[in-house]
Amino acid sequence: MIDSFLYLGLVFALFSIGIFLTTRRNMIRILLGVEIVLNAGNLAFIYFASPLAFRTGYIDPLGQSIVFMSIILGGSVIAVALSLVVNAYKQYRTMDVRKLRRLKW
Amino acid sequence: MVILQQLPLPLFFLFSPFVVALFGLLGERFGVKKLREVVAVVVSAVGVIAIYYLFLALNAASQSVPDKILVVSLMAVPPLAASFEIDMLGIYMAFSATLLSFFATLYSYRYMEHDTRLTEYYTLLSAMTVGMVGVAFAGDFFTLFIFWELMSVSSYVLVAFRRDRPEPIEAGFKYLVMSALGSTVIFIAMALIYGMAGTVNFAQIANVLPKMPLNAWLYLVFTLLVIGFGIKSAIVPLHTWLPDAHPEAPSPISAMLSGMLIETGLYALTRVLFITFDPATFRLVVAALSVLTMTFANLLALLQQDVKRMLAYSSIAQMGYMLVGLAVGTTFGMLGLLMHVFNHSLLKGLAFLSSGSIVHMTGTRDVGKLKGVGRAMPVTTMTLFIAFLGLGGVPATNGFVSKFILFGSTMETDVGLWWLLIIGVLNSAFSMAYYLRVMKTFISEPAEGVKGLKEAPGLMLGVTVTMAALIIIFGLWPAPVLNFADSASKALVEGLQNYIRAVGP
Repeated sequence: MIDSFLYLGLVFALFSIGIFLTTRRNMIRILLGVEIVLNAGNLAFIYFASPLAFRTGYIDPLGQSIVFMSIILGGSVIAVALSLVVNAYKQYRTMDVRKLRRLKW
Repeated sequence: MVILQQLPLPLFFLFSPFVVALFGLLGERFGVKKLREVVAVVVSAVGVIAIYYLFLALNAASQSVPDKILVVSLMAVPPLAASFEIDMLGIYMAFSATLLSFFATLYSYRYMEHDTRLTEYYTLLSAMTVGMVGVAFAGDFFTLFIFWELMSVSSYVLVAFRRDRPEPIEAGFKYLVMSALGSTVIFIAMALIYGMAGTVNFAQIANVLPKMPLNAWLYLVFTLLVIGFGIKSAIVPLHTWLPDAHPEAPSPISAMLSGMLIETGLYALTRVLFITFDPATFRLVVAALSVLTMTFANLLALLQQDVKRMLAYSSIAQMGYMLVGLAVGTTFGMLGLLMHVFNHSLLKGLAFLSSGSIVHMTGTRDVGKLKGVGRAMPVTTMTLFIAFLGLGGVPATNGFVSKFILFGSTMETDVGLWWLLIIGVLNSAFSMAYYLRVMKTFISEPAEGVKGLKEAPGLMLGVTVTMAALIIIFGLWPAPVLNFADSASKALVEGLQNYIRAVGP
């Protein structure tokens, strides 16, 4: 029970930090926030797959394989995102996301 | 139900992006003109045929409708391995996606001819289609998430495809951040479901979760699922990326995004909610979201000056109508939802492609500057009007049939959503206001810049006229779509037990 509170609390903390970062002005920070939220999910999977969660006595390979996949997918998303940031910088000459407001509601 | 241990031949369609990329690069290397375009069109046509063959294989697999399930799992038996679980619903969604993709690819042949980096364009378009097909067939969260990300990542790049202008980049970045957050929220919901059920296989989850008493964790999972899938399917408080991303993408991509991508989000939401919860538990929440979505989007669509932006808001409103079917949650409600998914893919696809033709010839999307364009481009404008009338739900178009079923389903006894019928019909009538406004502008006295315009190129015209003809045909003779959607909705609602049994306890 203590473990459960500890790890799920950590997941919640990572989630909050990530969401907080996505409200910042700098584009790179926003992307870092997205990545941290994804890592909250990864941690939750690792925890549920580990023997700590249900005292099963073995590690479930399913959860771990999902985490491997999600790391790769997260990397590809961030690669696309960074290329967009480079292009946005070329067009707008700023990293401030609030300056990107050609489009209104 | 049949369990296949190797990939059936039609499913090799899932590798089609590699084919397009290979031939595109070969064409570039050896200077063969138009090779990549032709290959992309052929590959997307093969996709439609492949799904049809899969449909035949599914029909041969079993006699009764809700029992038609193909399980495709490599190397091991399903609960222990990632799998495709193909039922009528998946075939239905995949067929809609590949059909629209075929039209969009054919249309791109002329529409995109002045752009550069076309190999990337066709590869990504193909990858997006494959992602949608994979999401429709997925039998567990693992497979669903991979294809979901394939679909999403290709669509991020396609929205920002014209990177020489600032607006697409801005729209693409906004879409990327929101959608990537949505995916991660789905991922956390997956983790919690995995923690509760001990598996990510849909059938096994459906065996465990609906029997659990509702507790705080289940409410959390529900919230996360609605937020995560809701971002992709543009349910109203989470829709803000859509009116930016859809107009800024190239028109064939707008057609794919509005016509099929957001519906794939709704499909995934429907599938996952049906396996994790009893329909009665989420009825009121979804009904409230539906009312909010359609009312808000219809009001904002009225204020738009940009024709593609107006269509984007109209897409959000149509999502609101589709949510009515999910709120009802019976076989009849799902029939309405699925009919509207297919019909909307044709209608909104046609609306974006026709307005794309107009944008292609005039170079502006401003309704005020397009005054009288209907006199210069009569055929394109005619097809656009057919799409508008269908979106408004005028009889003799297929939009009427599906809206009739959707709103009719709210009157089912023991559902108690009759008020949704009133709000829905009022909204649908109200939505005609902005379609008629644009139609009136397009056929009024021509403005200066519009005189002397030529009709769109023959191929683009051919695609739009074919789609308009399909809309009228399915409006007057809905039986084929109706039967197909009927077996799909039966597979979802009544076939749920078979869906669970197909994978085993």
